[in-house]
Parts: sequence; structure tokens; C-alpha cells
Amino acid sequence: MKPPFLFVLAGWLPAALAGAAESPKSDARGQLAQVPFRVVERFENYRMEQGMPCHKIHAVLKTADDHLWVGTWEGLLERPGEGRPFRRYTTEDGLTHKMILSLAEDPRTGDVWVGTMRGLNRWSAGRATGYLQTDSGLPNNVVYSVDVVGDHVWVATAAGAGALHLKTGVWQIYDHNNAAMHEPWCYSIRGAGDRVLIGVWGGGIVEHDPVRATFKEYRDPDGDFHYDLVADDGPINDITSWIDWEDGILWQCTYFGFARYDGRRWRTWVEGKSPLPSNFTQFVRSHRRVAWIGTDLGLSITDGETWVNYFVDDQGNGSMAVHAAGRAAETAPMTTALANRFVLGIWVDDREAWLATSDGLSRAVLTPEPGRLSAGR
Amino acid sequence: MTRWVMIVMAVVAAALVAAIVAWTRADIPTRQRLRIRVLDVTHSAGLGLPAHDREHMRERSGLSDISNVSCRNCHGESTNALPWNQPRPRHAAPGWLAFSRDGSRLYTSLPDRDEVVEIDVVGEQVLRRATVTGSPSGLALDPEEGALYVTCRNEDRVARIDVVSFAENGSVPVGMAPVGVACVRGPQGVQVVVANSRSDDVSLLSGEPLVERVRLAAGREPYGVGCTPDGSRAYVAGRLAVMSSLHRPPASELTVIDVHRGRVVARPRLESAHLSEASVVVPGRGWVLSPVVRVRNLVPITQVARGWVMSGGLAITDLAGDTVLQVPTDEANRYFADPGGLVVDAPGRRAYLVSAGSDAVTVLDLDRLSEWMAQADAATRAGAIHDLELACDYVVARIPTGRNPRQLALSPDGRRLVVAEYLEDTLRILDTDSLEVVGRIRLGNGGLDDPIRRGERVFTWAGRTFQGQFSCRSCHPDGHVDGLNYDFDGDGIGDNLLDNRSLLGLAGTWPFKWNGGNPSLKVQCGPRFAKVLMRTEPFDPQQLEDLTRFIESLPPARTRPAQDREWTPAQERGRRIFFATHTPAGEVIPIERRCTTCHPPPLYTNRSRTAVGTRGKRDPTDLFDTPHLLGIGASAPYLHDGRARTLEELWTVYQTNDLHGVSSYMSKQQLNDLVEFLKTL
Repeated sequence: MKPPFLFVLAGWLPAALAGAAESPKSDARGQLAQVPFRVVERFENYRMEQGMPCHKIHAVLKTADDHLWVGTWEGLLERPGEGRPFRRYTTEDGLTHKMILSLAEDPRTGDVWVGTMRGLNRWSAGRATGYLQTDSGLPNNVVYSVDVVGDHVWVATAAGAGALHLKTGVWQIYDHNNAAMHEPWCYSIRGAGDRVLIGVWGGGIVEHDPVRATFKEYRDPDGDFHYDLVADDGPINDITSWIDWEDGILWQCTYFGFARYDGRRWRTWVEGKSPLPSNFTQFVRSHRRVAWIGTDLGLSITDGETWVNYFVDDQGNGSMAVHAAGRAAETAPMTTALANRFVLGIWVDDREAWLATSDGLSRAVLTPEPGRLSAGR
Repeated sequence: MTRWVMIVMAVVAAALVAAIVAWTRADIPTRQRLRIRVLDVTHSAGLGLPAHDREHMRERSGLSDISNVSCRNCHGESTNALPWNQPRPRHAAPGWLAFSRDGSRLYTSLPDRDEVVEIDVVGEQVLRRATVTGSPSGLALDPEEGALYVTCRNEDRVARIDVVSFAENGSVPVGMAPVGVACVRGPQGVQVVVANSRSDDVSLLSGEPLVERVRLAAGREPYGVGCTPDGSRAYVAGRLAVMSSLHRPPASELTVIDVHRGRVVARPRLESAHLSEASVVVPGRGWVLSPVVRVRNLVPITQVARGWVMSGGLAITDLAGDTVLQVPTDEANRYFADPGGLVVDAPGRRAYLVSAGSDAVTVLDLDRLSEWMAQADAATRAGAIHDLELACDYVVARIPTGRNPRQLALSPDGRRLVVAEYLEDTLRILDTDSLEVVGRIRLGNGGLDDPIRRGERVFTWAGRTFQGQFSCRSCHPDGHVDGLNYDFDGDGIGDNLLDNRSLLGLAGTWPFKWNGGNPSLKVQCGPRFAKVLMRTEPFDPQQLEDLTRFIESLPPARTRPAQDREWTPAQERGRRIFFATHTPAGEVIPIERRCTTCHPPPLYTNRSRTAVGTRGKRDPTDLFDTPHLLGIGASAPYLHDGRARTLEELWTVYQTNDLHGVSSYMSKQQLNDLVEFLKTL
């Protein structure tokens, strides 16, 4: 039995410290804290009035040829260049299902791989080739996540992870029967150098080495599904909702907090005890060691030290909060806001970010350089 | 009399003693074979079988009446003894062609001989030979003529021949069964575009060093490759229609590739068309020409008399791949089957197209074609392919050739056209002004003493079809499948499709047809077939004999990449599932529902009709011929009506009550393993 006083102590102390820094402040010149990464200058939103086919946007991807791909509840959108209109593709165009869950580009061929609620699709120069669990080796039709790693397309599905060899057409399935995987429900998959990382519901994170055919589990050491009893001891929770990896840094989303692993040390964040605005972290996209986190209460950007959070209230007013080391949290209103507070998908580069939300698509125009932010953007 | 009786008895006694001695000395498999032979003879003679053997036959065949079941349905076959495993003569059949830049040299591949030869065109003689293993096929000369790139269809590689030494000096693995190849020079140096026909993809190679840059998904069975003069775009013709739903007209794909970026940029569909084996960019016109066969497989196939099964044409696609126009090359009462090689002269005014099934070169005036296009309205253009009078407007000549012309090459000055007469072992040289034959280079003797070669001549000849509409090859390119389902009107209804079955690996797998109605290939290809399907006179006995020999010489389709030599763990697991007698839970799989009952090795067929729950709404019976499984991974779609697009669908979509093997216990992993094993057969 867990001693209740430990919960109280563990919860109260960081919350008290964080609470002390909650008051909205900017200095006399309207300047916010120095931020070591590019942040959002303004949002531009695309809702149904601007041509989105529905409210729910699930995934977004910008490919190397500057095409923007948007996965929605009602099909796949392609914008073939800035200023060009969106085209919409559905099952009539060969997709196996209209509800798009995930997107990934094959960097070698430019093909876009599309995970849907019913099957995986290869979108190549206007042609959709579908893979279903009934007509191919795809483990399961619900394709939560897809990534292209070398000659393989990897998918995280509701019944295991799968790998399709693009040259031989051979499928491999990894699940609780043949891999270090506590459950078969895979929510996220990501190539990480010569490894593949799999985010597993109830199984934490599984690291697979395809060359050695080995698996390594990263599990929450305290094993509790509801609370992170010991901070920074490992993955924050075994219920992994999404992962991302870039430049040696692994980021983990769960519905109970957020975590980072640099190969040696874990760090964890939970709401109330840290700048993380919500424990319900749905999605993360990393770029130059900075994580863009989609939560049910807004967007967070962090390098693990400094945090910048973006909120939108019920009236659609935007605001931001900066949490910099050694400074009290500072908040400021914004003249533009996210399309919706629930962020389900993100794509980002040095210039802009695209955010799939529960009510439309947002484009976040970034500051030209990292630096000090002005209030009242 | 008594003396003769004594002699006979002595011979019988000696035979018995010899048999007993052989029996006692033989190993168990040999004893089994002997026993099966004896039982088969006894059973065939109507002398009956021991009770347990009768029970065994009932159990294995699933039939209560075993009067038509023989031991040989399942036993006594060895693939080593089959015709396709026997050595056969190799012929100097010219495959693909490439001219040197000055037109003095011509290169041709000899796929059957594993050779590439260099020919002095003026002197009409072979100068040098290079050995290139793996069935050398497509040829592409580096524009600066340092290297000749050769696709090796049976070894899944591209070989590079140094033109100076005329010897292979490099090789790179590519996708399966590479055929067409083109070579261009661009900002990134030498670029080689390779159509991998069996893996449905295209390899882009850089020539220096010779490595694969990227592999791009193409249409089904990519075959011919053409490039723009600046090498920026490549056009790859897909020979087979892209897999689609059962009752939808087929469409093949022309894959448009940005060579420099290594990206597919467009995939125009050639509607209701397939068997496109070439693509050529027409200088100055912004066209890509691809020969096509317009196929009408969804209407009853007996419409041959009405010219309603297949007709030939050209697909004209714009360079961006946005629009496709199809125009006919056949005439209303005269067809030119199996269009193959296509070349266009440098000014873009004339095109030459071979018809491999009709032994002819068609000469097209592209100025006239362009004039017609300019004045035709959209509706006329859309329906042009059906107007078989139209070809007269732009076809200016039909030049007869030797047997089975497959490829063409035009000299750089446009004055000489070389025709590769595959089954003659000759190259025919035509003067393009007079359209007369001005030379002939003999590479082999034509192989008329070889019955298999003679049979191939029959197989590829459209002369036995009404008005020459199609040959056996038109539905069975390379003896394999065209991936379509045809509407045979056997049930009198006309909307009951039948899957086109591969002829590869067919030897010993009698009976034939999906209803198992033809006990031999001679019956299958005999008079009834000629009257019903081809609407013409049947093959004469010698032709039929030769045709049968040719078909039986075709080995099973290769389904594994040439580099894959080891079995994977998944294939091994799948093998165990295929041969399983119990489920993993220990339950016995009933004999009649085990894979090996109907698909026993080595041919993986029991040569019987079996009911596996696949009867369709219009099928008159539950019983269908059990297909052999050799090369099964390369012959989609599946089942008698082609309803299953993949092997997986046999058990995920069309399996009913575990009648087609017991699969309900299988996990997805186990099903994947089983499929991986089947793909090794």
C-alpha cells in the first residue's frame, strides 16, 4: 500500500513552488524572459470557413517539396505550395478510409505514407496504394502512427507494430508474443538512428534494434498508472500516447505527464508541479532539441529548461506564458490564438509550425531568431 | 504351345523374383513408389484395392466415389523428371537492341544464350561477344559510349559492359526481373533508369560509381523505359493493369519520373489498356507514345467474331502526364497482335511499331496523326480507340517480318531500321525510305529442329485467331498471367469471370481449366478451344504437339529475389503451418482440411477438383480444380474467379467455415508466416 503522505508531499512541494511563480508579469518595457529557441509570433487559422472539410484535424506534415499534407476526420488534404488551394482526397481517390490518423514522408522517394482508421496507404504521385490487415501483412487496420526508416515503413497499430520492407514486400509483426511488449497496443513509432522506438499503451517505450533483432523496454519504474511517484526516474508512465526522437533526445507523451530522455538521464514533468499545462499530452514533435507538445489545454514548447505555453480561452482569446529558469512565470495576451486548445498533431521547422487541432488547422509563424519576447503579440 | 507357356511362366517367375529382390533391397521411398505403381495399375485396371487403400483415397480426396481417383493424383511425381527441369537447346534469339552513336555498331542481347553481341551493321557480321549471365535483356548505351548497361532478368541485377574491352566491368543489384533500361546524362552525371518487372518498381542508378540511388514504386510489371532528350524525365510503361476491383475495367500505368530529383511526378492511367511494353518520347511534339492492347475482358470472350476482345493501339500522353489519348493501330478486319518495340525518328515524324504476334512492322506518319488530333473534338478523341477505320489515316505501311519480331532500333541517321526477329534468330535491316529489306544478320539457325522452339512459334502466333486478333501470348505474356479475369460464357450468362491462370510450371499438373474438364494440354489447346475461343481452325497435330512441349518446358515463376538464398524464420514457421496436422492448441486438423491434402508436394496439387467453399452466385458447382502452388506468389489474383487480390484475402475475406484449410486458429502473425512460405514455392 502506498503511503498517502508521500503523495501529499510529492504533490505539494513543487506545486507550491510553481504556484509562487504563477502571477502574470512582464517587465516595465513589456519584455518577457529570454527564450533560447524560436517561438510563435502569430497564429493563422484554417477552419471550416477557410476550407477545412471538418472540425477535427488529426495530423499535419510538410514534405520536402513544400507540399502541406493535412490528415482530417474527412479525408486527406494536400496544399501543393504556399498560396495554393487545398485538394481533398477520400476513399473515392483510393484511400482505404477517410479518417486520417498519421502521416510520414519517405525521404528517399517523396512518397507520403498515410495511417488511417482502416489501413495504411502509400500516396505516390496521386496514386493511393492501400494495405489492409485482410489483404496484406499489416498487423491491424488502426494505424496510429507511421514512420519510414531506411527500407522499411514502420507502423504502430492497435495490434502491434509492423514493418514493411519496401523492396521485398515482406511484413514483420512485433507484438506481445514476440517482442518485449507488455501490450499489443502501439500508439507511436519513430526511427531513432539505427533503432526504432515504439510507444506502447501500457508498455512504456520499446527500443528495437533491427540488426541485432533485440528489444529493450523503458518502463515507468514506480509502476503506478495514475501518479508519478518518483520524478525523473524513468518514463513518466507506461501509458505512452506519443513519442518523438531527434538528435539523441527522446520525448514521451502520456496521459499522465511528459518525459525526456537524453540517453543517460530521464526528466519528467506533470501539471501543477511544472510548467506543463496539462498531464494529457497527446502529441510531441521535436526540432533541434526543442519539443513542441500538443495537449488538451494548449501548446507547449520546451527545451527541457525553458517553457513557453500557448492557450486559448473559450472566447478565442490567445495568451502565452513563459517559464524561464530563475524567473517567475510571465504571461501575456496575444492578438492571435490557436484554432483550438486541443492540439492533436504538429509539424515544425525553423520558419513555421503547423498544428492540427480539434477545431481546425493552425499555422504558427515563428520569430526569426531566438531571443527576448515582447508582450502583447 | 506347352513350350510357349513354359517360357511365359519362366519370364513371369523371373520378373517376380527380380521384383522381390528389388523390393528387399530398396529403401523405403523406393518401396513406396513401387507400391504406388502397382496399386495404380491395379486400380486403373479395375481390379480393386485393399480396403485401407480405398479408405485412404476417400479420406484424401474427400470423395466417396473414387473411381476417377488415381494414386498418381498425389503420388509418384518428381519435379526432377518434369520437362521444365530438363536441359533444352539454347537459341541465339535477339532480344533488345542499341545503336552506337555513329550507327556503325549495333548491340543486341541474346537472353537465352547469356550473351551480348556487338555487330558491324554495314558488314552484317558479329564482331565480339560478351558473356553476361542471368538472361541479359534490356540495353542502354551511355550517351558518351563508355558503357553499355544490361538488365539481367534472372539475376535481378544490371551489368555494365565496358564498350572498349567489351567485357563486363560492373554490376549492381536492382529489383526483381529488370527488363527495360535507359541511360541519360544530366547534372548528376550518368543516370540509369531500370524497370523491375517482377517487383513493380523502378531503380534509379548513378553510373559513376554504379549504385542504386533510389527505388520508386511503379505500376504493375514495369517494362519499357523512355526518356526526354535532356534526361530530365523518364516514362516507364507498366505491362499489366494495376490491381483493381473485380468488375472494373483494367487500367495500366505510365509512371512519370523526375530523374534528377528521383521522384515520381505523375501516374497517368491507360484506361482499359495493358501489355504496354515500351514508351518513347517523340521529339518536338511533347508526346510520349506507348503501344497498348485495348482489352475487353468483362464482356463475353466469345465476341471474337465481332472484334471485341482485344485490339492494338497507341497511347499518346503529354510530357506532364496530364492527358492520355488512345488511337488504334489495327484495322476493322485486320489485327496486328502483341505490339512490342516502338521507335520514333529524330525529327519526330515517323514511328515504327512491331507486332510480335503478326510478324509485321507498322509504319505511322506522325504528321498525319498530329493533323487528325488537331481537328478532332474532345468526343472524337475520347472514342478514337474504338474507331478501327481511323488507323488508315496515319498508318502508311505494314512491313512483313520473320517470326516474332519483338524489338526495333533505328540508326541515328534514321535511314536503317533493325528488327529483332526473336524466333528466327535473325536481325532484319530495312531501308526507311524504300521500306525494303536491305540486309539480314543471322545469329542462329532458328531452332526449327527443336520442338520447344517450334512450340513457342505457335504460342506467339496470332495467325490461328480470327482475323489475327491475338495469340496465346496475348493473355499469357512470357507464359505467365496478364492479371485479368475473363468473362467466358460457359454458363450461358456472360457475367461470370474466370481468373486467367499461369502456364508457368504447368507440366504434370493435369487436369486443366478451372472446372478440371481437360485431362491434358492437348485437349485444353485442341479443336474445341480453337472453335470456341479463337473462332478459327485448330492447330494441326504437329503444332499442337509442339505447343504442348513448349508450355511444359516453362518453369514455375520465380517469386524470390535472386539475392535471397536463405530461408527466413518467417518462411520456416510458415512451412510448419502448411504441413501442420494439429493446431498449436493440439487439436487435430481433419485430414481433408489440411493444406497438404489438396496441395501435396512436390507440385502442391492433388490434381483433383475440390470444394473449398468458394462457389460464387453464378457458379454451377462447388468443385474447382485444385491449382498447383509453384510460383503462386507471382500470379495474383487468386481463386477461380480472381476475387482474391492477395494471398491473405484467401483466408481473411473469402474463407468460409474453415473449408479452405483450417485458418481460424491462426493469429495475424501465423497467417503472415504462411503467406511468406507460399511465396517461396
